[in-house]
Amino acid sequence: MKKVITKISLRITILAIVILAGSFLGFKLVKKPLTSEEYPKTDQRISDKYSQGSLEESSNREGITKDTKPMPLYGNWQTFTKKNGLPADKAYCVRIDGDRVLVGTSAGLAVYENDKWRTYTVEDGLAHPGVLSIDVSELTGDVWIGTLGGLNRWSAGRFETFNQFNSGLANDVIYTVICDGKDVWVATGGGAGSYDTYTGQWGIYTERNAPMHEPWTYGVCAGGGKIFIAAWGGGVIEYTTKTQLFRDYIDPDGEMEIDLFTDDGVIHDITTGVTYADDILWVATYFGLSRYDGTRWKGYLDHDTGLISNFINFLKANGPVVWLCTDMGLCSFDGETWVTYQKKENSMEGKILITNGDDTKEIASSTSIAHEFVIGVDTQDDVIWISTSKGVSRGELLK
Amino acid sequence: MKPRFLVLTILAFIFLFPATDLIGQDKKQDKKLNYGNTIDVQVPYGRFQKADKNFFDDLQPFTGAGREKVPPTDLTEVRIGLLGPLEGSVLSPQGIQMLQGATLAMEEANEKGGYRGIPYKIFPHNDVGLWGAAANEVVKMNDEKVWAFIGTIDDINTHVALRVALKLELPMVNTGDPDPTLTETRIPWMIRCIADDRQSSYALVNYIYHVKKHSRIAVLRANNRYGRVGIMEFRDAALRYGYPLVLEIRYNDGETSFTTQIERMIKSSPDAVVLWGNAKETALILLQLRKMGMKQPVYGCDRLMSPVFLEIAGEEAEGVITTCQYNPTLDMPNLVAFNKNYEKRFGYEPDVFAAHAYDGMNIIIDAIDLAGLNRALMRDVMTDLKTLQGYQGITGEIIFDASWNDIGVIWMTEVRNGKFEFFPPPPFEQENLTGSIAAKKP
Repeated sequence: MKKVITKISLRITILAIVILAGSFLGFKLVKKPLTSEEYPKTDQRISDKYSQGSLEESSNREGITKDTKPMPLYGNWQTFTKKNGLPADKAYCVRIDGDRVLVGTSAGLAVYENDKWRTYTVEDGLAHPGVLSIDVSELTGDVWIGTLGGLNRWSAGRFETFNQFNSGLANDVIYTVICDGKDVWVATGGGAGSYDTYTGQWGIYTERNAPMHEPWTYGVCAGGGKIFIAAWGGGVIEYTTKTQLFRDYIDPDGEMEIDLFTDDGVIHDITTGVTYADDILWVATYFGLSRYDGTRWKGYLDHDTGLISNFINFLKANGPVVWLCTDMGLCSFDGETWVTYQKKENSMEGKILITNGDDTKEIASSTSIAHEFVIGVDTQDDVIWISTSKGVSRGELLK
Repeated sequence: MKPRFLVLTILAFIFLFPATDLIGQDKKQDKKLNYGNTIDVQVPYGRFQKADKNFFDDLQPFTGAGREKVPPTDLTEVRIGLLGPLEGSVLSPQGIQMLQGATLAMEEANEKGGYRGIPYKIFPHNDVGLWGAAANEVVKMNDEKVWAFIGTIDDINTHVALRVALKLELPMVNTGDPDPTLTETRIPWMIRCIADDRQSSYALVNYIYHVKKHSRIAVLRANNRYGRVGIMEFRDAALRYGYPLVLEIRYNDGETSFTTQIERMIKSSPDAVVLWGNAKETALILLQLRKMGMKQPVYGCDRLMSPVFLEIAGEEAEGVITTCQYNPTLDMPNLVAFNKNYEKRFGYEPDVFAAHAYDGMNIIIDAIDLAGLNRALMRDVMTDLKTLQGYQGITGEIIFDASWNDIGVIWMTEVRNGKFEFFPPPPFEQENLTGSIAAKKP
């Protein structure tokens, strides 16, 4: 009898252990996904996941090409601040123009040429010392400068000023200026605008004649026969130059506090920048990154991708790679691989984070970008320039 | 006995561990407050789908440079900007009140010695003018080297100003714009110390549908951003309770005849009416809808709570219920003193814009006292949700959420005997579908 009880007890015990193990596993499997609150902070996640390496190891690209597609990797950063001749440490934008580099700062336009900086201010004809955006016309070589107090054309050494009083500008705060053939486009706090440099005619685009909720615009880019406008609170406005027709892309969930589905459209209606290359439209927001291939949208957020921060100040695409200026460093992305350039705290050294899927690698760098709050970027050939909250940096393609 | 004991122990583990874990989870969920004080049944898409991302669960940091900047040593005054509809706008009376409320706070601070002996000085700017004037005016304020600014009332101008404030990294305190989307931009340079239309809408919806048991609401609202964005949260909240609006129609600012809109309202057979717009037009609408035979109760946004509304609407104003972002009749020593000093200084009673601007200016002054003359450091103390959280202003306790929106208590008013009488909004009903949507469910 005792043996029977013991056998039964033993069987029950084994069964109980099986049930216990099963229920434990089941509980793990059906456990709800982490909420954003429960998610570890980005830094914590990164440090948990990263394996360590050095720039020297990675510069031959073997480590990267094994796991990822070949992404351009930059290093040998050289930083310029007020001490080196910039008029101010805070640099809003940067534009490479052949052998020279144009930098918009909070205290004027700085031009780097032949290893020297030269500053242009209001005394030289600049509309305002705060220079937010710069572009160069491929047709004429004229430099177009968007400032906090109007638009400048810098041509043949002379600054010509356009503002609300003497032109068709919708507002004097020019967040973005771009050249598209003979046309110059601007995004301002009072609407988007176009200027035909041949006829001198202005066009103003606001909620009255375009599908915008409000006239606030922040970014503009050209590509594929279209103009794309980042409308603050209104998503992206697309203007087809041939048909002169508009359409808009807004966040389908219609809510500001959430993103219901990441890939259902533009991440958020508060858009901060647009860029177009290789038939892809990239959209920056303070809530993440969106990519549109003409058919489908894809969204990227910092909690489940290699995007270092959802707060994207500016972006620029060059071929298949988009450069993202975030508040936590400079990021590049080609649709698969993320590369982030950061500065080590209290150090001149930097680090590079390479993320492909769930794998992230950290590489030490003996040089770093000037500051992690990156506001502007431009690349040309093997060189990259960035403008930051505290200086500008020049990097070189590592080979 | 030992095997039995073992079996019992294992079984106890099986049943107790998951249960305690779940109980723990429930407790955690109970503690979590939805964004914007939104009750569970009002969470967007909450009945159907969990959002991929809730954007305002965490604070957006400012990681830029600036904290290292040394304060100037040669200042003769500490400049604070104010952006408002000071002239040439239908909102100018409110703009003037805002300026006066801020001025009073500054004068009181100067009487106490200013900032380490240096007097504060206000730099007022009108936000009405050329298209996008607000943007240009904020740039001018920055050129004037203000340390922070207050502004403004109009939704569009405030959004435009906020965008420039980010570029210039200039702390901004909003004291008069209740647009819910203003703080939903993740710009870490602005706080708002006045309750927004989301809070007003939730209070009104709860009161209208649950306390007063109305079910068919018609809305007549201003055809501008204030009307459009203001009613948005009301419409959504009503729908989520199960009561879609029976009608939402618009009028333009400056209109004086509302016959067409009222005829449409009559046809929709509402059992109550909600008005969302400025005091003058809503008072005229009230008079005309009573004249055309509509006797339904009337509810409205906070802008109805104005002497202008009472003056135009006269006896017809009786029974009108609105929200208000504070209660000026509370017996709080600081509020009583403010009311007395304001009337003495400016010759008439303060309004909601004066009171909130007074609090807003005091917050800026406190931030300067705590952080010194450094914009980034001032921003830090204004936005850390610790230093100034629960600020005891004359408008009550100011509670900021992670988007730096004031989600503190708001009030409701009813016109009784020609005066606005204040009462706290009833507690929110978590009740699920109760209206027409529920009725149609099998």
